[in-house]
Amino acid sequence: MFVKNLFSAIMATTIFSLISALIFLLLDGVDVSLTEAAVGAGISTILFLSTLKHTDVMVKKSKTPSFPLIVLFLLLLGLLSFAVSDLPEFGKFNQTSNSQVSEYYINKSKTEMGVPNVVTSILAGYRGFDTLGEVVVIFIAGISVLGILRKRKSNS
Amino acid sequence: MRHHIIPRIVTKLLIPVILLFGLYVQFHGDFSAGGGFQAGVIFAAGFILYNIIFGLDIGKSILSVNTSKSLMALGVILYLVVGFLGILLGGNFLEYNYLSNTPINGQLLGIFLVELGVGLTVSNVMVLVFYSFNDISEEK
Repeated sequence: MFVKNLFSAIMATTIFSLISALIFLLLDGVDVSLTEAAVGAGISTILFLSTLKHTDVMVKKSKTPSFPLIVLFLLLLGLLSFAVSDLPEFGKFNQTSNSQVSEYYINKSKTEMGVPNVVTSILAGYRGFDTLGEVVVIFIAGISVLGILRKRKSNS
Repeated sequence: MRHHIIPRIVTKLLIPVILLFGLYVQFHGDFSAGGGFQAGVIFAAGFILYNIIFGLDIGKSILSVNTSKSLMALGVILYLVVGFLGILLGGNFLEYNYLSNTPINGQLLGIFLVELGVGLTVSNVMVLVFYSFNDISEEK
């Protein structure tokens, strides 16, 4: 936000992605970590850089934010911080969202699916319909990008 | 970037490893970390790296835009076919138990095919987005 050069902003985003991939790795979220490293640090950097070809590298001087915007921002920040105090304790075992379903998955996945990796058995097996929706969303996103960025015909 | 010798050599060494790792994550996702999405992204990243270093012309001769488009659709179709096979063979939508002789084998086969579909779609969407971003740059 304080960087005026877009190139360094992109590099900062990449480094942030790499660091968060490491954080996911330390939290035993290897699947998420793989995705973050490949998408966040790899592909999105390339896409940002190829977008940068069409724009100026330096950011234009922006207006100073108006007073009502600052008030709105602080209000939202306060509201969200207040909401955070209602969240369950981080990593707590005995809570509703962690007790019923995940216990079932962890205990039954091996015998029902024959798949040792619980993440895979949940994603592709128990929650197969959700994953189908996810794939369709990615597919539609790809089609939309193709539609927006398609080569214009010279005669039109 | 064809005249930079160090990136070129390093890429030549790295590409097979990246693609192999992508395939490993794809087909070994049941037993270790990963799955279709991760594998597709890794595979696409390796292919895009190849494109950056050796030029889009060579990349497009390996995987053309049209092939990529059809593979992208094929992934979703594969997923749906597996889903409807479950109905045809006597179960519910996306129920893999009936796909093979025993329920466990059916589950393994179903998960394998579904992950393959996810991987195909994701990797081809990434490659296509990369292609279309660069087609824009070539115009100007």
